Amino acid sequence: MTSTIRSRKRPGVLFGAVAVTIGLVAAACGGDDGGGGESADTPAAAETTAPTETTDVIDPMTAVTPGGKLVMGIEADTSSPWRPAEMVCAISCHQTIRSIYDTLVIPGSDNVPVPYLASAVEPNEDYTVWRVTARSGVKFHDGTDFDGAAIVENISRHKTALLTGTAIKQVTDISLDPADPMTAVITVEQSWATFPWYLSGQIGYMASPTWLAASDTDEALRAQPVGTGPFVYVDYKPQEYFKAAKNPNYWNAPFPYLDEIEFIPIQDSLKRRDALKAGDVDMIHTGNGEVITELRGGLDGFTSTEITKNGETGYSLIHVTQEGSPLNDSRVRCALAYATDNDAVNQVVSFGVNQLANGPFSPGQVGYLEDSGYPLAQDMAKAQALIAEYKAENPGELKISLATTQDATNLVIANYQKDWFEEAGVDSVTIDQIDQAQYIVTALLGNFQVFQWRNHGGVDLDQQYIWWHSSSSLDVGTLALNFGRIKDAKLDELLDANRASVDPAEKKQIAEDVNRLFATECYNLWGSYGVWLLAHKSSIMGTDAANLTTPESARALEGAGIAGTFYPHTIWLQQ
Amino acid sequence: MRYFLQKLSQLLIVVFAVTFTVSLALGAIPNAEERIIAAKGSGAINDEEKNKLLDSLNLREPTIVQYGYFVQDLVTLDWGTTFNGNQSISTSISDGLKISIRLMIYGQLIALLIAIPIALLAAYRNGGVFDRTSTTVSFGFISMPNYVLATVLGLLFTVRWQWFPAISTDIGFFASPWEHFKNFFLPTIVLALPLAATYMRLLRADLINTLQSDFITTARAKGVSTPRILFGHALRPSLFSLVTAAAVNVGALVGGSVVVETAFNLNGLGRRTVLGIFASEFRLVQITVVVLALVYVTINFLVDILYGFLDPRVRAGRLG
Repeated sequence: MTSTIRSRKRPGVLFGAVAVTIGLVAAACGGDDGGGGESADTPAAAETTAPTETTDVIDPMTAVTPGGKLVMGIEADTSSPWRPAEMVCAISCHQTIRSIYDTLVIPGSDNVPVPYLASAVEPNEDYTVWRVTARSGVKFHDGTDFDGAAIVENISRHKTALLTGTAIKQVTDISLDPADPMTAVITVEQSWATFPWYLSGQIGYMASPTWLAASDTDEALRAQPVGTGPFVYVDYKPQEYFKAAKNPNYWNAPFPYLDEIEFIPIQDSLKRRDALKAGDVDMIHTGNGEVITELRGGLDGFTSTEITKNGETGYSLIHVTQEGSPLNDSRVRCALAYATDNDAVNQVVSFGVNQLANGPFSPGQVGYLEDSGYPLAQDMAKAQALIAEYKAENPGELKISLATTQDATNLVIANYQKDWFEEAGVDSVTIDQIDQAQYIVTALLGNFQVFQWRNHGGVDLDQQYIWWHSSSSLDVGTLALNFGRIKDAKLDELLDANRASVDPAEKKQIAEDVNRLFATECYNLWGSYGVWLLAHKSSIMGTDAANLTTPESARALEGAGIAGTFYPHTIWLQQ
Repeated sequence: MRYFLQKLSQLLIVVFAVTFTVSLALGAIPNAEERIIAAKGSGAINDEEKNKLLDSLNLREPTIVQYGYFVQDLVTLDWGTTFNGNQSISTSISDGLKISIRLMIYGQLIALLIAIPIALLAAYRNGGVFDRTSTTVSFGFISMPNYVLATVLGLLFTVRWQWFPAISTDIGFFASPWEHFKNFFLPTIVLALPLAATYMRLLRADLINTLQSDFITTARAKGVSTPRILFGHALRPSLFSLVTAAAVNVGALVGGSVVVETAFNLNGLGRRTVLGIFASEFRLVQITVVVLALVYVTINFLVDILYGFLDPRVRAGRLG
């Protein structure tokens, strides 16, 4: 890779975060996840049971036995059409579609973006123009050549998309280099040093232009993706399975090792665990505290790997600019923060698996602070004092609505919150249970006051730009990704400065300032950092993403960039 | 024939009521347009695509025109595709229906095979040990929610003994009879046991009444054997309640086996409908509701006709 980017996390996570947020709202809750609490230099993947090679880097030419089939139980079928610009992609979706699509860039082992399907990603001097060059000799599964035009076609489609379109709002032009048919030239409206990160996620997935064009007119084709990836689409039935077979002509040999791969959505975590135990599936991922606790204890014949680095944070969103809302006052917001006892939620709901959160960045993410200023422990006296102060200036009844999903666990948390908030002095807290589809739309429309949620995985602060920048804070009733409609000039300034910066020290300082700003303003009620666990039969090897290498021998970042996922390329079965 | 036409006209009225109500449901949903766009995926946001999508659903047309289009689409089988997976709705429904009908047929068969002999024996030995035992056991199964049964059987047969898969796959009988059996056995049993208990209770009660009838006493006096009395004379006139319950359950099982389908990860029609509701797949849900309603009214129509076969008095009443 020729990119000079020095920033940390991958855009994949950013877009993963979009998807994760959209797809996992039901699971979003202040106390549902938690982090492992490792420091920044702790490996993301840590073995928890019988030691195997899964965290070791394998010499693929000597150690691997190719062949076989992997069946994985995933937590949901959250995809929409398998066209990159239209996918509403949560963790399971990314895990699945990585078998079909390659990204232009992958998160590298040094926390820098590394070209993968692209052979080079090069900026101009002020980072306002990026040249993305296609790797030569690569073909899509349908025989279409992968070239600069394919890159232009794919990224252009994101410009009009709701989610990813917002993420690349500052891209002003995407065109083919007239002098080089392998190179796409992307122009952005302001200095954007972290742009390559965006090519390692959903925007970086490259689909066949031939297939994209055909699927414009034939909707059924949209569920039959065609990429350059290690596996070729075989069959897909929504909510039932996604099957793919080895791409024998994969450009990055010797990958993949498996002959076949199948993903089966099993929404219930306990059922997913049972399916693993019963031998129906070979591997599962889970963020469920009960299952994690059980698997941490070890199961004969199974290995589990925890991934905590760069995961999401469970929290409650607050709409901070709603007309006439008491939550526009930071004293009320902070009172709710002080009133909350996240430890109780973690113990009761998550079996104590999670690490309590004091900000949007989990341990290991740039911007994480051991003490951000946000209260980690409940302080009801302080909460009551803040509410009393607000009420003295604002007579009348103080009412708050709290939205949760129809998930029983989330409702338990909501009931805790209701009790705490009312004890703090809020006169009335109404709990609104909303079904998941409506829940997502409710967030996008900004029709809420307090809202259980999960988001903000990633490496670079830039990946949070669309969630917090005022340019994404549209009017209530208009779909917008700045759900809480935050409009904070200081926050905008910090996000813009980070976007333009390639200085790690400066970026770290900016991210920490953002963390402190959130703590001071109590824009969100932080809950806990998420833990993801991959559990699989002990005969399955190569789950560590660091086993994926580029033809230039660069290695992928451990943890594969999106918590709970791996690269299907590197999986193999021990005979 | 008059009775037939009367029932048929009732069926048509129900079909009209269901289709009309369902056709209007989409427009009645708050933020329907936004929800549809969100469900469709992040790509369908530019105005041209947005308008094309919403126009295809006729949401902006007057009520009666919406209904006209809805019926036209129904009749011509132009049901469109799901918002999320771009799967043909007709394919999705037929796939789901296939699974649900299998579960329904297997569940009903097993339930009836269990219920009828037990009910006969219990009624014949009314008040005896077998009757008391079977009554107690049946109450146990009736009062046990099927998710509990699914969990218990699942833990025993899938996790502990690993005789059956924890998640079932829709494998056709002719593709692999053994795999088909393995994948459908537990869901079928979970459905069948509570049904069998209910059927047994109903049939037993009717049989006890029938066995006290004069014609049974006459048959006994004439020296007719017990099996012949039970199967040849008592069973058929005692089937009324059982047939009614079984008929109602046909519809209920086709669309309402959500818990069992979810417990075993089978994507039947009930589960698809529930997931469709959560995923704002309004079109899929609309069509599914109509299909289920048709199943219900058709089955009940057939059962009404069947009553005449079961009991000559009903036939005579209709003729009279």
